Amino acid sequence: MTTKLEKFFNAESFCVVGASTTENKPGNVVAYNFVHSFPGKTYLVNPKGGELFGNKLYKSVLEIEDKIEAACIIVPARFTPQMLEQCGKKGIKNIIVTTGGFSEIGDEGKVLQQQMLQIMKDYNINVVGPNCLGLYSPALGYDTMFLPDSRLKRPKNGSVSIFTQSGAFGAAFIDQLSRLGSGQWVSKFISYGNASDINETDSLEYVGQDPDTRLILIYLEDFKEGRRFMNLAREISLKKPIMGIKANRTETGAKAGASHTAALSSNDAIVDDLLRDAGIIRVITWDQLEDCVLAFGTQPLPLGDRVAIITDGGGAGVMASDMVSDCNLKLAEFSPEIQNKLDQTFPSFYATENPVDITGSATAEDYRIALETVYDDPNVDSIVNLCVAVIPDLDIDEYINITKELAKRKEKPIATSLIGGEEAVFATKELLKEDIPVFDSPGRAVRALGMLSDYSKYLRKNGIDPKSILVEE
Amino acid sequence: MDIVSIFEKVKDENRTALLEHEAKQVLKDIGVEIPQLRIVKTLDEAIHAGNEIGFPVVMKLMSPQVLHKTDFGAVVIGLTDEQDVKKTFLDFMNKFANVVIHGVLVEKMVQSGLELIIGTNIDSTFGPVILFGIGGVLVEALKDVVFRMCPTTKEQALSAIDEIKAKILLEGYRGFPIVNKNELADLIVKISNLAWENRNYIAEMDINPIIANEEGIFPVDARIILK
Repeated sequence: MTTKLEKFFNAESFCVVGASTTENKPGNVVAYNFVHSFPGKTYLVNPKGGELFGNKLYKSVLEIEDKIEAACIIVPARFTPQMLEQCGKKGIKNIIVTTGGFSEIGDEGKVLQQQMLQIMKDYNINVVGPNCLGLYSPALGYDTMFLPDSRLKRPKNGSVSIFTQSGAFGAAFIDQLSRLGSGQWVSKFISYGNASDINETDSLEYVGQDPDTRLILIYLEDFKEGRRFMNLAREISLKKPIMGIKANRTETGAKAGASHTAALSSNDAIVDDLLRDAGIIRVITWDQLEDCVLAFGTQPLPLGDRVAIITDGGGAGVMASDMVSDCNLKLAEFSPEIQNKLDQTFPSFYATENPVDITGSATAEDYRIALETVYDDPNVDSIVNLCVAVIPDLDIDEYINITKELAKRKEKPIATSLIGGEEAVFATKELLKEDIPVFDSPGRAVRALGMLSDYSKYLRKNGIDPKSILVEE
Repeated sequence: MDIVSIFEKVKDENRTALLEHEAKQVLKDIGVEIPQLRIVKTLDEAIHAGNEIGFPVVMKLMSPQVLHKTDFGAVVIGLTDEQDVKKTFLDFMNKFANVVIHGVLVEKMVQSGLELIIGTNIDSTFGPVILFGIGGVLVEALKDVVFRMCPTTKEQALSAIDEIKAKILLEGYRGFPIVNKNELADLIVKISNLAWENRNYIAEMDINPIIANEEGIFPVDARIILK
């Protein structure tokens, strides 16, 4: 079945209604984006006529003779219904309305949105928006984000698709991803704003069946089609991880009813349980969402919950160990051969049991031996690589190379965290450049592995081999 | 009388809450095992019911004006002989002389065990939802409950059982019985189907407490509120 959003993203001709000749105005930016990136034919409409970026400016969409498959309307709210109607007459069925000033501002806006709904019905039009950033796909050269690249940097093509109720959150997160590691993350981005038509569930349905989407991130404040969303998510989460924020967590909805059940039915208590039941990994904070991208976007899923910790600092190791149990993980008990090898290789003042503390005397070679040895232990499912980078004998370049080499094996997930000193900052940057996940604190590193392990557990519980889930090639 | 007829009858009487014996009839109709019970109108019938069911029994007043039965002394438990039944019946008639009485419920007393709750509600976003958790009078204080959408599959019911914080209590904790999770999941599925199929009638439901003891899993009190 063709989903509504497929027709938007797969359009071969696109029209920008409200293409502005004033630099950096929304209508100017979107026109620029399509003229310069979109492989299909782009048409620009501006009632003044003339030319923009070497393309003709049609005075009205009705002047265009060719068939147009999708359009973006970027005119003030009060003119939007009229433009939408013209698009309808022209036979354009897929329209993005980025402009704000509709139901979100109160009664006046509600009237305008109502007018839009009538036109959508009359002409059988599907709409993304209003009050949104619209759609973005770097691989498809599709970009209705009306903020210029100098303000909102675009991430490059990757396997993560995102849909968001909040445009501002979307904008900030998109920019953040462009700066994360290689910046190669995004397959499809959907900002649906007021959801006059296309909503969170349509978005999930689309990215769920989109072959280029391997990982789904969401930001929601409420559900337009809660039941369908959960039922779809339960199927999709067995094929690709879904994770995200459902904000608006304040305890509302429960009423002092005639039953205990009604009294316990707060919105968030229900949402939280239904998300878990549908296999969606819920995070609360923005940084957790970035950690999700880094962990799920680069690491294989662990086949169990046993973690090995390598550290050169006792405190970091202890804190990471504490976090292990908080995140549904276990400290691995090394197999006898592995334990033996560690005991024999390292001086007696190193702590060779898990967490392995190779102390402030550690060299890069010690890190190599410790990391490779525990990596090969069948009793270890994932590895936390911690480095307090202020110690005297550590060659940081060598440490970086060792971490990179191990990361290439991709048999087990590794989460790294460097803390303390200039060299930590340097190494973090170098490793992230190659999309090797490095986290700001040992706790975040463990938590990232915990999320991977939770998802792996969920798949196994449903009879699915975690190895069958490939987020990256 | 089938389930819908029970709902229609309650609505015809301008009530929204089913009386306990009506709610239990609904549960029985969907194949839920309920404690043996009789609904009686006279002292003789009460004594006869007690003897027939076998002591100990509990007695509860069935009145649309006394829905919070415990709060009004309309539930008496641990009745061990005919004398107890007689005294309770006469007390009820005396105490509730001015309320409409549909009858007195005489019911086999369920031995103590672990108190659980299964309830349903209609959520404005997700429609009919079912709740499972630790029940009894502390249910709202403990808030150890898990929600699922109705209708719920057995797998979803089993995972809900495993998600409560105090799940250790179900596994034979300090003298508590080992709860048959399979049977419990079947019960959750049955109630969720009831709520889903009758979503045009049922607004809220509380089966609380459900007592899990050595002999099985028994709904001890049931409340069904219609829309």
